[in-house]
Amino acid sequence: MLIVKLAWRNLLRNKRRTLLTVMLVGFSLVSLILTDGMVKGMQEKLVGSITQTLTGEAQIHRKGFREELDEKKFIDDPVPIINQIRLNKDIQTFAPRVVFGGMIASPYNINGGLIYGVDAARELGISKIKEALIEGAYLSGSPREILIGKSMSEILEVSLGDRIVISAAEVKNGEISQELFRVSGIFEFGLSDLDNSLGFINLNVAQSLLGLNKGIHQIVVRFKNPENALDLQSSFYQNANSGNIEALSWKDYNPSIASLIGMSNYATVIIGVTLFLLATFGVINSLFMSIYERLYELGVAKAIGTSGPELMSLVILEAFLLGVISCIFGSLVGYFANSWFAVHGIPFGTYDFSGVILRGIHTKVALGQFTLLPSCVIILVLVSAIYPSIFAARIMPVDSMRRSL
Amino acid sequence: MKHVIETEHVCRFFGEGEVGVAALDDISIKIEQGEFSAIIGPSGSGKTTFLQLVGGLDNPTSGRVWLSGANIAEMTGRELSDFRRDHIGFIFQSYNLIPVLSAEENIEYVMLLQGVSADKRHKRVREVLSLVGLEGLGDRRPAQLSGGQQQRVAVARAMASSPDIILADEPTANLDSATGAALLDVMRRLNEEQDMTFVFSTHDQKIMDRAKRLIHLHDGKVEQDETK
Repeated sequence: MLIVKLAWRNLLRNKRRTLLTVMLVGFSLVSLILTDGMVKGMQEKLVGSITQTLTGEAQIHRKGFREELDEKKFIDDPVPIINQIRLNKDIQTFAPRVVFGGMIASPYNINGGLIYGVDAARELGISKIKEALIEGAYLSGSPREILIGKSMSEILEVSLGDRIVISAAEVKNGEISQELFRVSGIFEFGLSDLDNSLGFINLNVAQSLLGLNKGIHQIVVRFKNPENALDLQSSFYQNANSGNIEALSWKDYNPSIASLIGMSNYATVIIGVTLFLLATFGVINSLFMSIYERLYELGVAKAIGTSGPELMSLVILEAFLLGVISCIFGSLVGYFANSWFAVHGIPFGTYDFSGVILRGIHTKVALGQFTLLPSCVIILVLVSAIYPSIFAARIMPVDSMRRSL
Repeated sequence: MKHVIETEHVCRFFGEGEVGVAALDDISIKIEQGEFSAIIGPSGSGKTTFLQLVGGLDNPTSGRVWLSGANIAEMTGRELSDFRRDHIGFIFQSYNLIPVLSAEENIEYVMLLQGVSADKRHKRVREVLSLVGLEGLGDRRPAQLSGGQQQRVAVARAMASSPDIILADEPTANLDSATGAALLDVMRRLNEEQDMTFVFSTHDQKIMDRAKRLIHLHDGKVEQDETK
């Protein structure tokens, strides 16, 4: 206890220097917590934007469907799969879909598009089609209704209530099948790919148009905890991946976003290393100044029997206490700053990130910011104390005490 | 009689060639258990260098030093550090207490390094504080004590672990005459009652008057060795 007391009081000898060092290390931690919060917030928004808009957090298809959107590769009997999904406690909701490419023609123009046949009620829990509507109404189950993007409506020169015809090939015999619709809603996701080329009709109409009977092309899934979507060992993936059926996470069908997230994680590490290096030099400098001030006293301590390792331990203990105080300070400030920005957001304006429109960033508060990052800080402070402590351990009493004995 | 300090043809040179200086030149001295000796001589005569060598803080250029029968040249740095901790007490001219520790904690420090239990440490601290006449001042920090009181704490620290030898470098140099004399009486009493060996380096007549043996150094050589 006396050694701890000695280390603590040594820190209080020069309060201003200790305070400056604590602020240097503490604010480095604050910066890192905010950077991590910002990156996590951006990632969450990006992933949320993608998965909540349309694609969901995981999808089940027949193998080979996703690569070419081959309508012929449909799930003939989805009931057993759907029953399995219903029993899985990790799953919040799901929605079956039919997806096909077709020609969309109005009296004035013609455009290629991707048509989704959706279960209107279930889709509410999966995608943001309803929220994206800027005109008209959401699907009600009527066979002639269709929702199209704003850009597509401009290409086709149609507005609400106008007629359009969809032509597609039946999956079993390849014969052209046509159906007449009336524009019942116009949506705008803010994603040019979606607004240019998508159309949504009711699931049973799409099945009938393609001659699928009860068949579907994909089941889109949302988890109770979105992080479970990335656990490919979970029961959902284990059960769904069988035979010619595959289950994929959003990272699998959005590889560019997954890469971007990986890159942003690396960026966080680089920023962290840079900040910590600066803090390390500050700690080394502070400890050396403290040792030089006490050179004579350390010589005396060695003369009366303090061993080199004991002096080393003392300096490392001082560094540890410095690290702990810095972490408490940094974590508290970091928590309040991060929480504030999580609520109020950082006003970066509207920007496009990998095709996704983002407005500002709300930081994310995560447990690791207050456990892992401070632990790293303390380890780093201890590592930075090694050199000064070795210096202290090697002090020769006869050299440092030449003034007296 | 047991020799607690023995030097044999000890030389200590600083520098080399023409600029080299012999701080100690062929010193052979034996100091017995319970002696109250003083190393005296003018400045530059080698008193401090002698104390550094017999304190295990420095190594001779040639010759051998035995402390309590152990040749310090054969000890590793760690062994020498442990030896100083367990067998030698130091009293310095400028007290050299640890400023952030109280008087009690300063005295306790060496025993802590020795691994003495807390109960025993606290009991011993009370004993030695009483011996040096500082009861009731144990919780004060050095800056809150007078020079004489600080030097008493230094004496208490030196003797707390009951070392074989106490080496005191000009212990009264920074004290007024009355305080210095009182402190010397404390040390003399410890020497007589507890058979502790004291070796002083000094110019102080009061120490010379109380010492049982005076070793005169001049230019690094023993000029005279008189036992009263």
